[in-house]
Amino acid sequence: MEANRYLRPATLEEAHQLLLQDAKNILLGGGLWLKKSTSSANALIDLSALGLDQIKNTGDHIEVGAMVSLRDFEMSPLVKNIQGGILVSAVSQIMGVAFRNGATVGGSVAGKFPFSDLITPLLALDTTLIFYPKKELGLADFLNQKGRSSDILTHVVIKKSTGRAFFKKVKTTALDFAVINVAISRLNNEYRIAIGSRPSVAALAVKAMDTVNGMKALSDEQIAQAATLASEELLYASTNAASAEYRKALVRAYIKRGLEEVSK
Amino acid sequence: MKVSFVLNGRNISYEIAPGEYLADTLRANHILSVKKACDEAACGACTVLLDGRPILSCSFLSARVEGRSVTTVEAVQDEVSEISDFFSDEGADQCGFCNTGLALTILALRNELKNPTDEEIKHFVVGNLCRCTGYQAQFKAIKRYLEAHK
Amino acid sequence: MKTKVVNHKTPSVHGKGIMMGRPSFTDDLAEPNSLIVKILRSPHAFARIKSIDVSKAKALTGVELVLTHHDVPRKSFTRAGQGYPEPSPHDKFILDEYVRYVGDEVACVAAINESIANQALKLIEVEYEILEPVLDFETAFEHKSIIHPEDGINEMFPIGFEPKKNVAASYHMHVGDVEATLAKCDVVIDETFYTQAQAHAMLEPHTANARLDYLNRLVIYTATQTPYHVRRIISQTLDLPISKIRVIKPRVGGGFGGKQALHGEFFVSLVTLKTKKPAKIIFSRQEVFESSYTRHPMRIRMRLGANKDGTLKAIDCYSLSDTGAYGEHALTVFMITGSKVLPLYNKVDAVRFGGRVVYTNHVSAGAYRGYGAIQGNFALESAIDVLAKKLNIDPLELRRKNMMGEGETSPIFSIMGEGTEGTAMDMDTCKLGYCLDRGAELIGWKDKYPFVQVGPHKVRSVGMAIAMQGSGIPYIDMAAATIKLNDDGFYNLTVGATEIGQGSDTVITQIVAEALMTTVDKVIIYSSDTDLTPFDVGAYASSTTYVSGNAALKAALKMKKMLIEEAAQYLNAKPEEVMFDGKEFRTEDKRLTLADMANKLYYNENQHQLSATESFVGHKSPPPFMAGYVEIELDTETGEYDILHYVSVVDCGVTINPMLAKGQVEGGIVQGLGMACFEDVKYSGRGKLNSNSFLYYKIPSMLDVKKLTTEFAESYEESGPYGAKSVGEIGIDTPPAAIANAVANATGVRINKLPVTPEKIFQGLNKK
Repeated sequence: MEANRYLRPATLEEAHQLLLQDAKNILLGGGLWLKKSTSSANALIDLSALGLDQIKNTGDHIEVGAMVSLRDFEMSPLVKNIQGGILVSAVSQIMGVAFRNGATVGGSVAGKFPFSDLITPLLALDTTLIFYPKKELGLADFLNQKGRSSDILTHVVIKKSTGRAFFKKVKTTALDFAVINVAISRLNNEYRIAIGSRPSVAALAVKAMDTVNGMKALSDEQIAQAATLASEELLYASTNAASAEYRKALVRAYIKRGLEEVSK
Repeated sequence: MKVSFVLNGRNISYEIAPGEYLADTLRANHILSVKKACDEAACGACTVLLDGRPILSCSFLSARVEGRSVTTVEAVQDEVSEISDFFSDEGADQCGFCNTGLALTILALRNELKNPTDEEIKHFVVGNLCRCTGYQAQFKAIKRYLEAHK
Repeated sequence: MKTKVVNHKTPSVHGKGIMMGRPSFTDDLAEPNSLIVKILRSPHAFARIKSIDVSKAKALTGVELVLTHHDVPRKSFTRAGQGYPEPSPHDKFILDEYVRYVGDEVACVAAINESIANQALKLIEVEYEILEPVLDFETAFEHKSIIHPEDGINEMFPIGFEPKKNVAASYHMHVGDVEATLAKCDVVIDETFYTQAQAHAMLEPHTANARLDYLNRLVIYTATQTPYHVRRIISQTLDLPISKIRVIKPRVGGGFGGKQALHGEFFVSLVTLKTKKPAKIIFSRQEVFESSYTRHPMRIRMRLGANKDGTLKAIDCYSLSDTGAYGEHALTVFMITGSKVLPLYNKVDAVRFGGRVVYTNHVSAGAYRGYGAIQGNFALESAIDVLAKKLNIDPLELRRKNMMGEGETSPIFSIMGEGTEGTAMDMDTCKLGYCLDRGAELIGWKDKYPFVQVGPHKVRSVGMAIAMQGSGIPYIDMAAATIKLNDDGFYNLTVGATEIGQGSDTVITQIVAEALMTTVDKVIIYSSDTDLTPFDVGAYASSTTYVSGNAALKAALKMKKMLIEEAAQYLNAKPEEVMFDGKEFRTEDKRLTLADMANKLYYNENQHQLSATESFVGHKSPPPFMAGYVEIELDTETGEYDILHYVSVVDCGVTINPMLAKGQVEGGIVQGLGMACFEDVKYSGRGKLNSNSFLYYKIPSMLDVKKLTTEFAESYEESGPYGAKSVGEIGIDTPPAAIANAVANATGVRINKLPVTPEKIFQGLNKK
């Protein structure tokens, strides 16, 4: 692609200043699909020299640097231990290994890709995003934020938990984008239900969650009701991949199966 | 701008444009084993090894390999020759356009996974698309190659 | 017949070198300082260029040439790589005043690098008169928008070309009286099917490069399936004597028919001729999807009539085919939809096939593995299962009762050829019966048909289809081979036959090695260079083993005879007295090695070069046959399904190279499954192809088909080299019907429109 400069700033402050200078200065995540969305840029800003490629165990949480590759994320024992390995199970379905060696956690989250198989399960967990200049934002709030920001996502912080979880990506071939993706996590009797690629980006099905939260055991009727609610409370649209009706039917089927599985 | 890195075991320095991609840089410098098939990180044909790990060179900025090590099949001829024997034995040798990217992926697999299951093997190479073989002969060849190197 | 090389495991001659990265594909061989050629493409599905201003583009530093329709020869041609005179209409100009699909060529730029070429494209100013596009092939006929209103276009012989009605070709045939026969049948079924514009998705994008050599001749390197047709068409279109052109086909990264037509050759040739500099063009993947070729999408209406006892009495097949903006391969694909499908049920009293091929403002459709047979097979083999259900007869039994058998024939063979009349032939080899039974055994049909419940909403089911194809085009396809003896006793083998990854170099080498009683390392093959290799029509119609292989066999046998005659002279004996084992000549009392004789022939005694050239034209096109069976696991709540197992039992005569033949079948099966299940073609409302990237157009990956089982029937075709027929296309034909039949067996839902998607199954399940 056409670009005037490639820069690798030594500090976050420098990177941030560069971003503020020009709307055509672009932050690089993995940069794998950069040329698909941008034909020309001014400066390409690489965050590789900022030590953001580590996954740290901070006691109650894990702190994932934005430049951690999807592959390193997928292979990390710390990540695997969270909620039955749901994040590993989801991310390992994204494209192929070489793709995941290039793509980054930060790029995938900051990009708010509607088809993202990372965002959906993260939303079903307790996930906080850390930005520079200093700001913390819950993932759900970040997804609801409109417009562009020149804040730099530096870390994705995930609370450790060992409950049950369920993830389903509906797709045509193994390398496809999700037609719909569904993540359910249960910790004690609290449920989080996230649905993505609707085609829009993952969102929590709060009404569905309300009907099952706090319940020690779930009856078939409650599960069916939650599934139906989830298929109605969020916006589903038709695309080349699937009609809205079919997406809703898939949601009903997989929320039901997911709740059955995690509520066992 | 300049990018300096280790290419196939040798220190090298290329003049590149800031927005240039590794596959184009390598091919322009006569490393012709690197193939471009889709140019959008979707098919795996352009796979090269970066510090021993497979990446998609069509979508990896050349500037980002500064100080790192890039390997293409030109540097691993004996290993690739052996892989090709297994491919030929299973009849997996058809047009060959996906083969150089796939061979490097197989070498990376051999490094990273010890005693992989069939599913794990397939999962590792699933990003290397092939339109000719229907994959079964490739899979058998890969499995037997890995078994020979246990 | 016991053979030593043929029908033995043999690695391909090229596998190692290619995997080791040797520069061997077209772009690897481009001149390093080639001008980069880029094409400005139409954003409109149908428009007329009112004005085009290239002055700013020309003025850009680094731009060497810009061509518009004002600057190129105005002579219509077909891009289709077929024998001359082509059965495709001459309806294309290099650049035209009209653009007929989103992605059609508007102008051509040559610059010193890609960046400047891309900038130059943006500087070309075009004023379009936007015309109403024809985007639905079912309304194309006599649409008020005429896609080819221009003068100077024509058919080469009658093919039903009526451009003013948007008709590229049409055809009708019948045997017996279909309507009368149907009227007397106990059961008639009437089903209409739709197939989509499948993309070849070969890994190597289309590419070509050109240069002037030191003889000042135009030398074109191109990823093509038909080098000789390229040479002829470039010559005729650019008005350059054929003798001034050389076409070389290097290693090709897959074709499947998508390179059986010209693509970038015109542009690099013009740029080189005008600038005297080398030039190259590489299609982006988007251009491969949008601006090369697709399969012909079709609507096929199939009516079958049978008696209660399951005797099939009549077949009526009416088809509408969409050839897109230009008519490459329009008639011939259309005819194969009937001629290589309907004879499967040869015992009917009446059969009728007909319809038309229409122009639309879609991407131009062209040749694609199967070449109409896969579309026709989907319709017929789905319809047979529908009939079986209505008759309450097992679908295997219905086929056994009615399908083609060995020694039989069909009147269709003599009526339908490739654009013209056909060739009568008996099925000297037809192991369909064996294939059907063996396939049923391998898939476990009797324990699984129609379906088995394996979970609360999971079923496993099986489905199947039979198929046939052809082996070259009789009386039209010609191949030739030349064998030269070298010192030390090895051979150079030159053939026009076009290796595109299917293994023709290897298979032909094996045939020659077998005939000369030597090993493949002693036969060095070089192919597809119009200066150095003898003629061959190219890699299509499943012809390289049967037609090119036969030519090579003839040449080898001629060489063998020459060798023995030479040896007889050296040994002072009569040729009948000389024994030859491939390495040595012996008489009762004397011996002479081939190596010694070869050296003498070069340097010492009675020196001359032994060389044998032979040609072959087939007098029949013996079909390969197969039975394809699939087992799927289907989720009855969502309609999703997994492909568990695909079984193929194939009669392709003798497999010259058993592993490569298996590869052809398996590659075809998976490509066919792509068309059956995953590869969905989507256009926008304004005619732009939305499925124009591997991210949106999904071809199968290694995880998408769990298991393939492939076997070959014992079969020996006398007219083929060492008993071989062909195997290049047959593999692709059965999956669409097999999948649709498996889904119907699992759910009762009959999907008649490809691809068979989970959503369609879901809708079918919830309609009831």
